[in-house]
Amino acid sequence: MDNIYLPHPARIIEVKQETPDIKTFKLKFDDEAIGRSFDYKPGQFVEASVSGEGEATFCVSNSPTRKGSIECSVKKMGKVTQGLHELDVGDPVGLRGPYGNGFPVEEMKGKNLVFIAGGIGLAPLRSLINYCLDKRADYKTITIINGARSSKDLVYKDEYKVWEKAKDTHLHLTVDYQEENWTCMVGMVPKILEEVKPTCENSIAIICGPPIMIKFTMPVLMKLGFCGPAIITTLEMKMKCGVGKCGRCNIGSRYICKDGPVFNYAQLEELGYGF
Amino acid sequence: MMRVLTKEDLKKLINSLSNSFEVIGPKEIPNKGVFYSPITGGDELYMGDSFAIEPAKKFFLKPSCAILSEKPDGGFGLEDVGVPSDKRVIIGLRPCEARGLTLLDKIFDAEHKDKFYIEERSRTTLIGLACDKPDRGCFCTSMGGSPADGQGLDAIIFAAEGQYIVEVITDKGREIIGSTGKKLDDGEQKARKSDKKKRHDSVKTKITPPEGLDKMVDNDYWSEVSRACVSCGICTYLCPTCHCFDLVDEERKRLRCYDGCSFPDFTLEASGVNPRPTKKERYRQRVYHKFDYFKKNFGENLCVGCGRCIRYCPVKIDIAAIADGARV
Amino acid sequence: MVEEIRSKAKELLKTKRVDIIIGYKRASDGVSATPAFVNTVEGADELIWDAYCTYNLSRYLNDFPGKKKGIVAKACDAKSIIVLLQENQLRREDIFVIGVECSGVIDEEKLRFGEGDADRIQFDQRCKGCDPSVYPICDLLIKDKGRAKTPGLEKDPYEAVRKFEVKSIQDRFNFWKEEFSRCIRCYACRGVCPSCYCPRCVADQTMPAWFSKATSFEGNFAWNVTRAIHLAGRCIDCGECERACPIGIPLRDINKKIEKDVKELFGYEAGLSDNGKPLFASFDKEDPEDFIR
Repeated sequence: MDNIYLPHPARIIEVKQETPDIKTFKLKFDDEAIGRSFDYKPGQFVEASVSGEGEATFCVSNSPTRKGSIECSVKKMGKVTQGLHELDVGDPVGLRGPYGNGFPVEEMKGKNLVFIAGGIGLAPLRSLINYCLDKRADYKTITIINGARSSKDLVYKDEYKVWEKAKDTHLHLTVDYQEENWTCMVGMVPKILEEVKPTCENSIAIICGPPIMIKFTMPVLMKLGFCGPAIITTLEMKMKCGVGKCGRCNIGSRYICKDGPVFNYAQLEELGYGF
Repeated sequence: MMRVLTKEDLKKLINSLSNSFEVIGPKEIPNKGVFYSPITGGDELYMGDSFAIEPAKKFFLKPSCAILSEKPDGGFGLEDVGVPSDKRVIIGLRPCEARGLTLLDKIFDAEHKDKFYIEERSRTTLIGLACDKPDRGCFCTSMGGSPADGQGLDAIIFAAEGQYIVEVITDKGREIIGSTGKKLDDGEQKARKSDKKKRHDSVKTKITPPEGLDKMVDNDYWSEVSRACVSCGICTYLCPTCHCFDLVDEERKRLRCYDGCSFPDFTLEASGVNPRPTKKERYRQRVYHKFDYFKKNFGENLCVGCGRCIRYCPVKIDIAAIADGARV
Repeated sequence: MVEEIRSKAKELLKTKRVDIIIGYKRASDGVSATPAFVNTVEGADELIWDAYCTYNLSRYLNDFPGKKKGIVAKACDAKSIIVLLQENQLRREDIFVIGVECSGVIDEEKLRFGEGDADRIQFDQRCKGCDPSVYPICDLLIKDKGRAKTPGLEKDPYEAVRKFEVKSIQDRFNFWKEEFSRCIRCYACRGVCPSCYCPRCVADQTMPAWFSKATSFEGNFAWNVTRAIHLAGRCIDCGECERACPIGIPLRDINKKIEKDVKELFGYEAGLSDNGKPLFASFDKEDPEDFIR
């Protein structure tokens, strides 16, 4: 019988320092056949193992339309993430997955999309943004509001130019406080959203960021006319098994690892919880 | 099939089983209580009224179980770990514990099959012992069980006036009991029914499992009932259905260790955020998992009314009373 | 006594001397006791006091930050309060101690879920070494007029320790090896202990993990020894850890051994007076130092 906890051996093929405490790791399975058969949707996640440290959960931050590797952006926080940060190109890791439900990319077809991200919350959205851009004809106007504490804390800076230039796509970058040579917007994400005023008509908002950002952005989305099913988020909680057994990541009767991590606001309200 | 065994028959049976099976049964440790342990001879088996402190769950979901190990050549990589395959029999476990295993099956023998649990299950035959003296903590009949219930068991033993009446339930049970003892008289068969009813009625604590808990998530009730909680792991570790675990890497192995929702660390994230910051959220999680979430997902309550969490709670928190009192 | 406790509790709540009373109430089984947290005058009527009131309630004193607390305290609980005051975990003005004269509490193991019969009560072993006339701190002492069943002071509270000490080191190790091997790491010993208040217990730390989380002898040994050593000079022998242990590890035996060593080496007894500094916060040039060689 197969061991569901067994990770596949993989290697780091590229490391990019995104911010002082966030690195993006490009990973490749040792066995190419596994790499080819590793099918995932934007919003799904993997469990990554670091020798001697343990395992931790990371969303896949690159789009499945750009196959060949798995990218995970890792903020240095606990034991496993610190261990990962010490690794370099060529070092081995373990990967199992993909897990979770992923974003409803089919239901999103033919809609205007409003992406709202804060800090490393852009990681799961980056996968989805690039997916939508690669299938541009399927989606209407794309609005991206991306905020961070300071310009140093913005992730995926290289991609902003591509996003800006993409057809019918609007990128709004913001930092919390004004800085030298900063020419984009200044202010917290909820305030910027209020200024940008994306239409709620035939639109879906996809939001991911720290709980405090989500808390203050929700009322703004409501005011703009977005209703429960049209607001999608991807949740995070401490996870261990990734397959609905270890029992810690539930919100009400739903497990984030199995039934999520992507939920819409209507589902969460039904579970008796706000964002 | 029903057989009657004398005490001597049972002893002999266990002695002969030891040749081909790993035999586990209740054993009494003086001044400490009853514990399921390996049995080497029929004399060691404790068939009295006291319940084992730890449930038989620990043989299927071990307190710490190696699930992966680093490759022995020193190279990097985690590899699979085997499960012993020799046949095993657990004799003398209680009906509620066997029912607990049928509930755990819904988690571990479902989507994403957990081989460590499943293989331990399939190599084990369960010979239950019907309860004679349920105590105040027992409320199995309110949770769909009974002291004479055979759910999840391969055979069940009823102690009766110096001898044992064994009801064989499955082929696995038949393999163990075989032709030990003698066949039960037809006349006696009838008396079994009233004996079962008598045992069923001997459970005095009765509760009504709560309905509609989702309407009282924010109720102050949860702060009130959890205030005395000392955040230890007794209720979860001794529960036949609590299955939450942690994965830790130690000594070149990855271990699956018991963990519980009563510990503050259970949901504490590396960032310092804890979505269940107080005893209110943590105790509510335990009650909801048992009487709401599991029911929504699998149609049953995740509690068999064994009473362990009530018996051993260091401050006498009583989940039966709390569940019974949870009304909107 | 019960009436006196209730009326004092009511008075304290009515006059706003305290916001909450931590005491005992009857448990759902109708026989044993469970901690009670009373914040209304009417609620005070559920308070009880008898030999079933085994818990050391001082464990809860820090669960109510910013509140004034009244607490029903036995002699042993009062000693715990002293330790908490010494270690600056409590402010004296925030608590009101209702001392209750205690004649010993029951041995739960022996009564566990049998029919409660007060006449056949077996007093807990831990009460036999306690001198219940010593109340190192209390704002009011409620006396037990019908006090007859005092378990009494043992002649030598360390008799068991002495018997154990003469065994060979191998025998002693084997004994504890067997006991600790059965530990299930539920941390109930820590949970009930008033002195185990570390915000992040060493057992929970992961960076680094100081000892194995697995229920193997190595990890269990490390945990149990760390727990005991960390209570050196702080444990007042309320015996709650041993009572709470579901699988019956004789934790008091270790606590007693350390208590005895502390007494012999430093002449210090925990929980007697809040004037002095805690043992490990004080230094005396007469302290034995033969461990530095």
